[in-house]
Amino acid sequence: MFSKTKTSGKRIMTRVFAMVLMVAMFVGTLHAGAYIDTNRDTRPDPEKVEYTLKEYNKYELLYETDTVKYLYREDRDIIAIVDKRSGYTWKTGIDVPFSKELKNNLNNAKTPEEIIEASEPKEKSLNTTYIGIANSLVTVEYSELETTKYLSSAAETGSVSKLMKVEGSDNRWRLDVDFQTIDLQLSVYITFGEDTITYDVPFDALGGEGVKKLTAVILTPFLGASGGEAEMYDPELGDYGPAGPKYRVPGYVFVPDGSGALIRFQDNNVAFNPYIGDVYGSDPSTKTYYYSEVSDAVPVKSPVMPVFGIAHGNKQAAFVAWADKGAEYMDIIVNPDETKKVKYTWSYPRFEYNTTYFQVYNNAGAGYFTLMENPNEFDISMTYRFLSGDGSTGFEADYVGMALAYREHLIDTGVLTVKEAAKGDIPIRLDFLMSDVKKSVIGTTQVVVTTSDDVRNILDDLMEQGITNINSGLIGWQKKSETLAKPWAYKFLSRIGTKGSFIRLFEDFAKKGVDISYSRDFVNINKKMLSYYTNSAKHVNTWYLQVDNSVLFPENAPIEYTGYALPTKTAEWIEKLTSKVSGYSESFTVTGASKTLVSTFDRTGVITNLTQAADAIRGSLEKASKDMKLNLETPNMYLWEYTDRFLQAPVGTSQYVFETDSVPFLEIVLNGTMELYGPYSNFSFYTQSDILRMIDYNISPSFIFTKEPSYLLADTVSSDMYSTEYSQYRDLAKTVYGKVNEVLSQVKGYEWTDREVLESGVIVNTYVKNGETKTVIINYTDSAVNCMNTTVPALSAVVR
Amino acid sequence: MRKIKTLISLILAVCVLALGPVLSAKASATTYTYTLEIKSGSFEFPRTQDAYLPDKTVTSLGLSKPSDIFITPDFIMYICDSGNNRILLYDIRTNTEVGEIKGAPMKTPTGVFVTEDGTVYVADKGAKAVLKYGADHEFIEKFERPTEPSFSDTNFDPLKIAVDNAGNMYIIGEGVYNGIIQLAPTGEFLGYFAVNTTRISFSQMLQKILFTRDQLENLSMTVPTTFSNIFVDKDGIVYSTSMSADENSLKKHNTSGGNMFKGGIVGWNDMTDVFVDKNGIIYASSQRGYIEVYSKDGEFIFEFGSFLTGTDIAGLFTSLPTVAVDPDGYIWAADGDKGYLQSFKPTDYAKMIFSAMDLYESGRYEESLSAWSDVLRLNQMSVLAHNGVGKALFHAQRYKESLEHFEVAENRNYFSEAFWEVRNVTIQKALPWVFLAIILFIVISIVVGRIDKKGVLKSKRKAFTDKILDIPVLGDVLYMFRVARHPNDRYYDIRVGNVRYFEKKAGLGHGKATVVGATIIYILSFIVYMIYRTGKGFIYQTVSVEDMDIAGTVAGFFVLIGLFIISNWLVTSINDGDGNLKTVYMLPAYAFAPLMIGMLVIVVLSYAMTFNESFILTIILIVSIIWSVVNLFCGLMNVHDYTFKETVKSIVMTIFFMIVAMIIALILTIMFEQLFNFITSVGRELVLNVL
Repeated sequence: MFSKTKTSGKRIMTRVFAMVLMVAMFVGTLHAGAYIDTNRDTRPDPEKVEYTLKEYNKYELLYETDTVKYLYREDRDIIAIVDKRSGYTWKTGIDVPFSKELKNNLNNAKTPEEIIEASEPKEKSLNTTYIGIANSLVTVEYSELETTKYLSSAAETGSVSKLMKVEGSDNRWRLDVDFQTIDLQLSVYITFGEDTITYDVPFDALGGEGVKKLTAVILTPFLGASGGEAEMYDPELGDYGPAGPKYRVPGYVFVPDGSGALIRFQDNNVAFNPYIGDVYGSDPSTKTYYYSEVSDAVPVKSPVMPVFGIAHGNKQAAFVAWADKGAEYMDIIVNPDETKKVKYTWSYPRFEYNTTYFQVYNNAGAGYFTLMENPNEFDISMTYRFLSGDGSTGFEADYVGMALAYREHLIDTGVLTVKEAAKGDIPIRLDFLMSDVKKSVIGTTQVVVTTSDDVRNILDDLMEQGITNINSGLIGWQKKSETLAKPWAYKFLSRIGTKGSFIRLFEDFAKKGVDISYSRDFVNINKKMLSYYTNSAKHVNTWYLQVDNSVLFPENAPIEYTGYALPTKTAEWIEKLTSKVSGYSESFTVTGASKTLVSTFDRTGVITNLTQAADAIRGSLEKASKDMKLNLETPNMYLWEYTDRFLQAPVGTSQYVFETDSVPFLEIVLNGTMELYGPYSNFSFYTQSDILRMIDYNISPSFIFTKEPSYLLADTVSSDMYSTEYSQYRDLAKTVYGKVNEVLSQVKGYEWTDREVLESGVIVNTYVKNGETKTVIINYTDSAVNCMNTTVPALSAVVR
Repeated sequence: MRKIKTLISLILAVCVLALGPVLSAKASATTYTYTLEIKSGSFEFPRTQDAYLPDKTVTSLGLSKPSDIFITPDFIMYICDSGNNRILLYDIRTNTEVGEIKGAPMKTPTGVFVTEDGTVYVADKGAKAVLKYGADHEFIEKFERPTEPSFSDTNFDPLKIAVDNAGNMYIIGEGVYNGIIQLAPTGEFLGYFAVNTTRISFSQMLQKILFTRDQLENLSMTVPTTFSNIFVDKDGIVYSTSMSADENSLKKHNTSGGNMFKGGIVGWNDMTDVFVDKNGIIYASSQRGYIEVYSKDGEFIFEFGSFLTGTDIAGLFTSLPTVAVDPDGYIWAADGDKGYLQSFKPTDYAKMIFSAMDLYESGRYEESLSAWSDVLRLNQMSVLAHNGVGKALFHAQRYKESLEHFEVAENRNYFSEAFWEVRNVTIQKALPWVFLAIILFIVISIVVGRIDKKGVLKSKRKAFTDKILDIPVLGDVLYMFRVARHPNDRYYDIRVGNVRYFEKKAGLGHGKATVVGATIIYILSFIVYMIYRTGKGFIYQTVSVEDMDIAGTVAGFFVLIGLFIISNWLVTSINDGDGNLKTVYMLPAYAFAPLMIGMLVIVVLSYAMTFNESFILTIILIVSIIWSVVNLFCGLMNVHDYTFKETVKSIVMTIFFMIVAMIIALILTIMFEQLFNFITSVGRELVLNVL
């Protein structure tokens, strides 16, 4: 087709030169200037937080360890965590009075000292409900007449709470809350550790008629909040002065959006919508509608791990919080400054028990909104770990420390295991798209763009070029391809390759140390693929789930709508197919099932809930992992125990407007426990800054190839694979891999211990192995920088 | 189609933030970039490499309802901050506010334009005037409602403004349907610059004919769509955008106000703003949040953005009223509801495309070829790149290579021209041989004629064909060619039951019409029809197989013929027609021969013809259709033993009956569907609420 013959070296040089010249022509007009951070970068550290040591005389001491003192204020339901290492105090609420309370206190105060003590700041942007929420340890969200309402444990009226010690334990307490307004009783078990607090809310401890209305439980919504406006008491005036901003704590909220995002505390003049991170993705079966539509926007990246944190100041104080139970139903919420007209930035975990959905009762789509009859049944267990200082005592108080603390927790609980990595080249992931189907005169026809022999030739060609640490996934290898073949089908199309030729391919390359695997989705199904109504998951309104792909698929594609497989079927299919190939394939690749969590319902209620769905898929992968390695695409945390290769690792965030930084939190957590691969470099991930990003985030490159030009796929659902022809990418793949490998191979097998921003656009990563330290300096800017006695040229990275 | 889709997505997007399965991960953009692809004549928008990445978000300026932005060559952005009644000056390079224009006579500014010498023009809807400020931002002059009689009592509420190099003002006025108001530098009314024409839909046309005057007065008036924004580029060319004007939503005006984009543009129909950079690249924004980039000729380069509300993601807008581009090529936009600025950084991919276009424009075809090839490497589905490579090859006279690219790009005009050149070469090479073959043929036939004076060869040939025609089924099928030659006689034969065939001994005829023969002809003609539909050469095959509604075609073909046979049989039975069902069944089949031959000839010729010779194919098609229709007509006349007049009457009635039958079938289908829906609804309701 186009230049299928080998391009000569000279021609490549001319081409590269022409490209550089062309880009330079345009860039040339750019004036040199300082590197400007965008939210795809990590900015320099925040300012230091200023604080004074205080006495908390309205608080009683609950528990004390070597590092932390836990105090409690009964009237406002607030736990204060005094970090003995730094003296910094965290409060689970913002500790402000209701206006009525404030008035009473002032009226009762007689002496000037009493007046000063009673004259707490008067909150400006919070009403009574919000003051309750802002102080509360637990707030419930409930639905009444189709509107969402909030009731907090510290509300002025409508709820009472009582804290008591759990008998037979000295570090365990129980907070019983009676939300009288809606007749709901709830208990929170609070366990104090060395520097941790764990909140447990067992489902059994929920009681009262209000359970039917309950939509969500929110824990410590204002822990670590920053911002706010208040009127301050002026002792000279004897009254409150005009409202002004409160001390804005410098720092940020960390959320697991993509690889990790920071939302810095800043004064925004815009009323934003909150950040809602639906852990493991939102369940299509409990969304408002049973149908959904693919849009032109890049889908937001769902958190793959139930963790978030807040840092105050520059390496001074931070906490990281994770869920050990209830993660499937967890949302991580951040309300940046001026969301709902509140001048605070506040962040909390939300656990969803119920949701409003649209019950459709005829084909015309008429229906009504309603709540589920029975709430989701799950227990909550949420742990907060408090970090302090710059890392000299324990983990440092920033996102790196949060990641390391969470990593330690996952290693302790057996989710992650550090694997010894051999020295040498880093791996590269090369996936092959073999075929897809398009419409034909009668039915459909399979468009073959890569045969098993092509895979052999391409891999041989790359190995000749010196790229040897390769692993590979084959997509569309089945007869009828990924789109129409049954997920468990083990049938071959001789035009792609016979069963024998695939076995030979796998075995021949296994001898050369190249791991080739079959890839399959297992979740996204369609009516032409299999008997749909026995295999498809149903929405809570009992309609079959439906996704309209017309924006994504070409108009003449063989399918337009897709649905989701029953989770139990997904698990069954994984077992079926993996057991057939485990004899000769070293690994297996799972795409959809690794990142999609779907529940299913019928008329009687839930059939498989999210926890059961996660267990089913984990069970099937556990079995498969005994014989094979597993390559999983963006797997959720519950599958990490069995993940050997993490494919399509997110780089950067969903880019909410208020997200200020992107950080490699996920990559730090997983470093050394599995291999991580970035998004396909074919698609807008091939520039020099993208290569630097791979080095910075310590991920290996990946590509998707076809032998034939990709425009042959224009009429298939793979039409978004707009550029995959191997001959076009051969040189680029070599370049990208070469540059990334040059740096990362030197720190392979090292433990990633720190990441610092020296100045805008200059990052230093620290790696340690057996006491030996190596640093990788990455310069994203377009001018050379001098740091740590090294000159790093523009747009490059060096190891020291 | 796209509009329907848009509508549906609009409705859905409001209710649900719906996200489906993801096929490929994205590194850094928040919306996909789309390019244009023309498939089987209809527009498709496949994804391509990211052209722009969201860059800076400026949330700190405290803007309220920003309605217009303008960027000067020295990176100063003039923001029309309507909610705060001011023009805010923002320095892009230092990310700071550098001043504001505020206070009387300014009331509610809605549009801003800055000329090359720094003069600021503000369209102020509140003050009902255009305000002129000097480069020092001191107020100079106020232009109020023109007093010329020709302006009569038209409203003067200026919304947007642009000024050309001579100082002429182009003003979009609220509620002005006459067009763009053009004022001289002195404020004198020069006339309306350009007008959006009204369009009358078919139903409106019917209403106009049928309605009484009272009824017409009650109808809402059809008025031209109003302009939404205006821009004047460095060469003084005026551009305008309009809402709901479809392919005329973006116009590039010539000096007399006409639209230079002859066929219109491809894009959304709710354009809010347009900006043209120094290279003539056109950037336009759509209300629902898309940014479109066009070449100077209005060719669609790419679009990005999305209509999604409820999430504050960089690059998605709640409403997108305005767009501008800074001298570095960064696109700037403002969110009209939330009041923040968002910039977009061009990627290497976008720069590569712009530079390739630039090279081609300046006639450097070889360089542009290499540039376009690089673009193609990054997106092998890009029509733009295939066209680019193809055209560069074409101009470099590498016609054969260009063909493949034009074929992928479905650029039939260029393909045809390139093919003409390729064919020309082939013909020139083959011509001597063709002449030789012809001469040889003539010589041989003369020689044979001389030798075989008794015509032995001729009679042998006849005997041979007679023999073939006597083979039972094959002869029955081939009989259609005899019908085509003498339709009257042969159909008479059919009516009288092929008597002549049975009187073969008399030497009167060979072959006969049979039901089996007719059935085979139907199948054959269907096959030929499908070959005709799907198998033509690229230039003439405008619809590819994947895009065809095959099931519909098959059903349509057989249902139509079946319906004709039955209707004709029923109609003629009550009208003393002689034909029975059997003969009526055979009748159309035996008329098809010329059409089948015609179609096959067209298919073969379509591989050798360019657009220049398309008339030949058209003539072949027309002749073969007429021939077949004449056959059919003769058939009806003879089989039913009708006069000419009776035949015409029976045909009209047959067609009428066919239409009635189809309508009844349609009504029945709809009724049953409704009934089915009703029953299932009741069932579901029972299951959900009663049981």
